[in-house]
Amino acid sequence: MASVAQDPAARDPGGSRGSAQGRRALPGWRELGARLLALREGSIIVIALVTAIYFSVNTSTFLTGDNFKTLLPYFAPFAILAAGEVFVMILGEIDLSIAGLYLFAPILFYKMNTSVGMSLVPAVIVALLVCMVVGAINGVFVSVVGVNSFVATLGMLFTLEGLSLIISKGTPVATPGGQPPLGTFGKVFGGGTYSELIWAVAIVVILQVVLTFSRWGLYTVAIGSNKLGAAEAGVRVNVVMIRNYMLCSLTAGLVGVFEAVRSATVQPNPAGPNEILFLAVAAAVIGGTLLTGGSGTVVGALIGALFLGVLKDGLILQGVQANYLLFYTGLAVIVAMTANVFVGRARRGTITRG
Amino acid sequence: MAETADAPSAVPPASAPDDVLRVEHMAKRFGPVTALRDVNLHLRKGEVLGLLGDNGAGKSTLIKIISGFQRQDSGQMFLRGKPYEPKSVDDARAKGVDTVYQDLALIDELSVFHNLFLRRERVLRPLPLLNNREMKREARRALDEIGIHIPRIDVAVARLSGGQRQAIAVARTVNSAADILLLDEPLAAMGAKEGAQILDLVARLKAEGRVSIIMILHNYVQVFQACDRVSMIQDGAIALDKPTSETSVEELTEIVVNEYRRARQAAAQPPA
Repeated sequence: MASVAQDPAARDPGGSRGSAQGRRALPGWRELGARLLALREGSIIVIALVTAIYFSVNTSTFLTGDNFKTLLPYFAPFAILAAGEVFVMILGEIDLSIAGLYLFAPILFYKMNTSVGMSLVPAVIVALLVCMVVGAINGVFVSVVGVNSFVATLGMLFTLEGLSLIISKGTPVATPGGQPPLGTFGKVFGGGTYSELIWAVAIVVILQVVLTFSRWGLYTVAIGSNKLGAAEAGVRVNVVMIRNYMLCSLTAGLVGVFEAVRSATVQPNPAGPNEILFLAVAAAVIGGTLLTGGSGTVVGALIGALFLGVLKDGLILQGVQANYLLFYTGLAVIVAMTANVFVGRARRGTITRG
Repeated sequence: MAETADAPSAVPPASAPDDVLRVEHMAKRFGPVTALRDVNLHLRKGEVLGLLGDNGAGKSTLIKIISGFQRQDSGQMFLRGKPYEPKSVDDARAKGVDTVYQDLALIDELSVFHNLFLRRERVLRPLPLLNNREMKREARRALDEIGIHIPRIDVAVARLSGGQRQAIAVARTVNSAADILLLDEPLAAMGAKEGAQILDLVARLKAEGRVSIIMILHNYVQVFQACDRVSMIQDGAIALDKPTSETSVEELTEIVVNEYRRARQAAAQPPA
């Protein structure tokens, strides 16, 4: 289910309701293709499929269960991060501080557990609550104070990364609950093989439902599409914006904890999180969410993340040298985005004819 | 009119026994700019009041204050005789005052029916999810009731024509329970045919007698066609308040011409 539900006309480009219903009994390939491309996520679904088929044909190991397990950490964390980021991007804003929270949350979790002496679950809850407070601060700066979101969250990004370095004194620490043998906590919070996948699917489904079928989602789209108009209609713009920033921070902190548990250590090095930030934003954009706001999809972000994951995994399986990996990823992002633009144009074309 | 180059004399507070809304000594400044100096206005039950005035005279500011979107610096409002201080757009709407803004406040990305129900969404209790089916049905019925023809209500409003968008914006307020409607240039950016449809709608609403309407207009012919009374705002104050039957296009035009003369004289004089 996509956010295209708000624009169901896109689904049957071929004219009236009745005839579309009649055809639904026997959907031809053309019709199916038209329907797929009419979805906001359509183009990235096609691109991700083509990429997966390419690697399946060209490598003997891509289409195996073991490889699927290898693939998971390449996309599940990005899907969760992107899902939160989509809620901010639809507003027409951006949240760069997610990289800072990704680093800050596990360090705070570690401190709460070791220095304060909280047990694992309360320590995680406190860390995530602090993340949401940070999100609220971001939201206040952007909506109430009116600081440009790129600048405000960039400042917050540096602040949090700096704070993480100060607190951890720059040395890696062992993640509580992430040491073998893993307990229930570790298995649930990122350590289990399918833990992050399950979280990612659950979060994406819930947030897509929120976006498409709740007032919160409706107001998010409304603000991104016409902020003044939404305010004039009585939407409490600041409240919605602050809430979305809090959601985005929560997902970022959650992924930070997952990854720290999965890798058993917290590396207080901003370089990794910063790359993850850009990949998460890339996943959202490739998935069909506009940087300019007003339109976006959480499911698309998941598929965008899947595409990036498949690409990285496939390239590694093909034996591409590590040094070439980023280069090919960059090219693939450009190609995927260009395809998106063309498909988007075709989609709007079918709409205007409809 | 014997008025020459004098500053326009403001109309003092007036009232009628059947007033639903009174505005007294309303003033509003934006930094160094005085939008409203001293505005007195009243709206009688069931009437259509035309609000006229030059660009920047303060019409939209006045509408935004009445609709609860902005607060005045000083002055009072009375709704059905009681003090009226809307805290927000929602609050004003709850008290029965609803507005079609000049910029329409439509959300391009949302469908027609979502726009119609923005801030009044129907939900599937006890779940906090949108009841789209119910909203579509009600939207269709509401549009039929007021005689607006929109072929499909599940398309994004971005795909509608200017006139259809205006109709949706008007329908949104009509669809609400409001009995005081504020229409800020409802005929702007509309073709003659579409404009006539909106005026028809206003006339039908008036005939029903349930709602009272303040409408900002620019075209004097439309003013005389649609309004019972006209208030002209100049330099942040009401310069004329007359039933349309007692005034004429000539009188209104003369006021504007006089204002234009004054402005030219003021521009010619060196600043004091």
